[in-house]
Amino acid sequence: MNGFPPGTHLLLVIATPLVGGIVAWVLGARGRHAVRQSAAVTAIFTLAGAGWLIVRSLQSPEAASGEPYAVIEVPWLVDGIFDVRLSLGLDGLSLWLFGLSALLSLTAVLVSWEAIKERTVGFYVLLLVLEAAMLGVFAARDVILFYVFFEFTLVPLFFLIGIWGHEERRKAAVKFFLYTLAGSVLAFLGLLTIVLWHASHAGTVTFDIDTLTAGMAAHPLPMNAEGGWLQMVVFLALFAGFAVKVPIVPFHTWLPLAHVEAPTGGSVDLAGVLLKIGIYGFLRFSLPMLPDATAVAAPWLFGLGVVGILYGALVALVQTDLKRLIAYSSVSHMGYCVMGLFALEAVSVEGATLQLINHGLSSAGLFALVGMIYERFHTRSIPNLGGIAARAPWLTVFFMLFTFSSIGLPGLNGFVGEFMVLAGSFQRAWSGVSTAYGPAYLTMSVAAVVGVVLGAWYMLWAVERVFFGGSREPPKSASQHSHGAGRPDDHGHDADAPPDDACDLKWYETLALVPLVVFVFWIGVVPATFLEPSATAVRKSFRASAEAFDLRMHMDVSEHRTLNPSTPHARNTKASVVHLP
Amino acid sequence: MPPMPPMITMPLMTTSLETFALLSPEITLVAAAILVFVAGAFAGFRSGWLGAVLGIAAAMALAGGQPDGGATLISGTITIDGFSIYIRWMVLVLGGLLALVQAGDVFASASSRSGGSWRGSTCEEAGTFLLLLAGLSLTGVANDMVLLFVGLELVSIPTYILLALKRTDAHGQEAALKYFFLSLVASALFLYALVCLYGIGGSTSLAVIGQRLCSTDEQLMGMATVLLPVALGMAMAGAAFRLAAVPMHFYAPDVYEGTSPGNAALLATLPKVAGIVVLLRLLALGLGGQAISMAAPPSLGSASLAGSAPLAGSASLGEAALTYLTLFWQLSAVLAALTMTVGNVMALLQTNLRRLLACSSIAHAGYLLLGVAVAAASGAACVDTLGNGSIQTASDTSWTLGLGGASATLFYLSTYVLATVGIFAALTYLGHRWPEWSSGSGPRPLRQEITSVEDLDGLSGTNPVAACGIAIFVLSLAGIPPLPGFWGKLSLAIAAMEVDWNARIAWGSRRAAFVSLAVILVLNAAIAAAYYLRIIAAIYFRSAKRGVQADGGISAGVAMLVCMALVLMATLSPRGLFASASQAGSVVSRNILSDSVGSDSFPASPHTVAP
Repeated sequence: MNGFPPGTHLLLVIATPLVGGIVAWVLGARGRHAVRQSAAVTAIFTLAGAGWLIVRSLQSPEAASGEPYAVIEVPWLVDGIFDVRLSLGLDGLSLWLFGLSALLSLTAVLVSWEAIKERTVGFYVLLLVLEAAMLGVFAARDVILFYVFFEFTLVPLFFLIGIWGHEERRKAAVKFFLYTLAGSVLAFLGLLTIVLWHASHAGTVTFDIDTLTAGMAAHPLPMNAEGGWLQMVVFLALFAGFAVKVPIVPFHTWLPLAHVEAPTGGSVDLAGVLLKIGIYGFLRFSLPMLPDATAVAAPWLFGLGVVGILYGALVALVQTDLKRLIAYSSVSHMGYCVMGLFALEAVSVEGATLQLINHGLSSAGLFALVGMIYERFHTRSIPNLGGIAARAPWLTVFFMLFTFSSIGLPGLNGFVGEFMVLAGSFQRAWSGVSTAYGPAYLTMSVAAVVGVVLGAWYMLWAVERVFFGGSREPPKSASQHSHGAGRPDDHGHDADAPPDDACDLKWYETLALVPLVVFVFWIGVVPATFLEPSATAVRKSFRASAEAFDLRMHMDVSEHRTLNPSTPHARNTKASVVHLP
Repeated sequence: MPPMPPMITMPLMTTSLETFALLSPEITLVAAAILVFVAGAFAGFRSGWLGAVLGIAAAMALAGGQPDGGATLISGTITIDGFSIYIRWMVLVLGGLLALVQAGDVFASASSRSGGSWRGSTCEEAGTFLLLLAGLSLTGVANDMVLLFVGLELVSIPTYILLALKRTDAHGQEAALKYFFLSLVASALFLYALVCLYGIGGSTSLAVIGQRLCSTDEQLMGMATVLLPVALGMAMAGAAFRLAAVPMHFYAPDVYEGTSPGNAALLATLPKVAGIVVLLRLLALGLGGQAISMAAPPSLGSASLAGSAPLAGSASLGEAALTYLTLFWQLSAVLAALTMTVGNVMALLQTNLRRLLACSSIAHAGYLLLGVAVAAASGAACVDTLGNGSIQTASDTSWTLGLGGASATLFYLSTYVLATVGIFAALTYLGHRWPEWSSGSGPRPLRQEITSVEDLDGLSGTNPVAACGIAIFVLSLAGIPPLPGFWGKLSLAIAAMEVDWNARIAWGSRRAAFVSLAVILVLNAAIAAAYYLRIIAAIYFRSAKRGVQADGGISAGVAMLVCMALVLMATLSPRGLFASASQAGSVVSRNILSDSVGSDSFPASPHTVAP
């Protein structure tokens, strides 16, 4: 078993969904059931392979030293001209996101079990292609390969939203695609600048991310007027791509539409995994490669994170569409990740990376459950729903669980992540910034805590309206309660019953949610399992930026004590923009 | 002492008999054309395109037996090098695909008319098409202005005929006339440009003109300051017409709309290849022409750039060439920025599918021009450096990705033509649509051509293969990774960002211009995605209100499948295409570019020539 090279193992895990996609396509002629079964089997195989790989990597010597595991390199383009390689590997940053992609893909397949009735083959093939692309993004160790996967995730999701989405699906799909593309082409130029800069200093062209990171440390991009503020320009270019993906608040407008219109399976992948690519990009590229620019931008992005938390929460509060509410809660929760990342404190950055997983689990679970509610009651409108708890108790239990996970109930995963992020930002506010910044940081951290309260408010209020109280939704059939109270696994006799009759969770729905719940509890109770393997890599990734930030703060303490804290940044940012052309 | 660069490849002179052997693919094409013309008087209407395909296949077989472009062969007025071989293969493959599409077009037009009244002009069309291919291939091998111009006219004149033959309705007439008059103007302008170049070089040989342009003649400078801008402006206008680039772009939507899809496929690809060939060959003049010393008289050879390099401090070194290249990149950079943006913005507004594709082809001409501008600017940078007597050190130049502007252009051109021909092949294959779903009894309503994007609504249900093909081609044109269009845009962006890498980005500097061009390029890619997605959205996201049928002939379907296979091959393994494009491009920009890099590895070359 141990003789099996981990690199091949990784390649196989990424290839499995593609092979499964072909199988599903071939089986298309044999009907919907064969297709969805093969897709589920593929997703289970991929998950098992990914899980096994993660276990192997945790036991490997590389895990202890923070080195990438399961490295495999295959030349792809011409050697010597474009030395682009099919270079894959996992390290502490990508390990859990890789696993999350495999896990949520299974969820996405299972929640689409009954929801997708038309053109099933295409749906599952695209879902599996999307899974391969998501796995690839996190495993890529080559800049171009990363970008290829990064962009390619758009294509299957574009079709998933546009074909199987709800009423405004076409508009949502196009908007989603164009927003993300417009940002990421700029990020692409930024990445190319990094490659060229490294090549001009090292004398060799490489697209290898680790080599580039090391090279950027040895020859940082210029962060001064003579160098044209190149580092800041590149940071802004990368920011354009990753901020749209996260999304950081002014760039979030595509998200509610895309989420609401996407089919449930697409929402699960979109919220669960694709939003994480933005934060992952910051961690993988911006923070380690552009520390000086990050140090300048960090207070602003910290602030934008807080704005996102509050804005998302406030907008979620007034939503009447349950899915839209959860979409805005995503904006709010990704705000914690942004905030934690740009607090540049060890505990907050680790918290932010954990929060990625947490949000992946809870938002995927919530979107899946909203999809299930929609399948049963054909509405997502909160005023039209009510009293579901009586009819579908298990559905309610799961929804409450993910709600608690989302609002950060102690003992569940959300608490750990949010606590670490907030602890880190308060730490930064009290001791890590110059006196000029202290009050601002403190205010923002307090505002983020208010966001936690708001988060509990809108989620619990929605739960109260949707699940409790009287039934406000006209029942579809008279025999509502005949099977509702049974164990969710007792599905056998439900098979032939009309959908409205069997109101509570079906076996496949339970199967989709239970793994998520397991991890919700696992992370909540023993977060160390997940924090420790990634700690080394995470610290390595943000160390340079944190040092640059500290240095900057000390400079500010000595030189700019009396200045308004915002002026130097504003000037720098403007100067860099002017120098761009 | 500044060193003398070594010759990388030694041009070989060949006898005139060998010239025939070297030109055998082109000669075969012309011979096949004549055969098809003659046979047309006797054979049935199908054989014309069959003959064309066979002729192209024979030309391919002969081209396959030729030297592989590693060395440069000069024979009188022709040059066989990596560049011309790349162009020749592109022309032959493209010609084969287009012949299949055109054959499909014939079926479409034939079946749409009432039976019996078909005029049967396919043999004339096929023969004319073969002549067109021969002309285009000749522009690739031309080492002489006369041959270059003859090749270009051999592209233009058959195009007029094809445009006029295919469609006889009002729109078709309008398209043919519009193209005819504008093309005449463009040819005249280009001829003026050649005359001006003759005035500078005193010869029709491109090699000699190149040598002369790079010499340090005082008299030359005086002449060049007047003639070069005129020559370049005219040449650029002539090439811009063929590329459908701003300011000669406005005919494209009307003509594409008015003619048949097969002709539109032809117009969107072959003239663009011609335009790029002409631009790159003219660009090479400023780099010392092809074949720097062997083809030129000894006196000029000694005054060539390489020989003059030791004259440190002589600021006049290659000043004419520098002026030429600088003007060249400035003109093409401005045109590139305008063309991409204008094309894409125009395309956003189109609802007619063929007009939309015409606008998209304008935008792609802009991307191609960007590559040409990069090639010119890198050349100017090298002349600049050499002229100032300060040759860059190894650490400055040896890291470059090596894929210069010319190679990126040629690579991009291949990815573009494959995807474009594929789309038009699919449209030809689909042929017509029913005005409404007509599933009952009663007389079938009149079929109509696929004109608007809406006509493709629900194609994924009615014809999944064609739908998938169009989606792949469109996504490739949009530059979505990992399709070939992405690799093309990647190489263009890298090439643009590499220009003057060590310089500061300051207002008005060359580097600033190219960094902004790279930004404009990627932003345009994002704009373009908007209308490309509209096509995909129509195909996949809407339900079919009208039936689209595949009555355009199976050969167009075959062409579409071949394009799909080629695009997917280039997706999975772009290496091969990359390698040949980079070889071809390096031939064009060989002399100075390779010299400045090679100069460090051969510091004590004995070839230094003292004047």
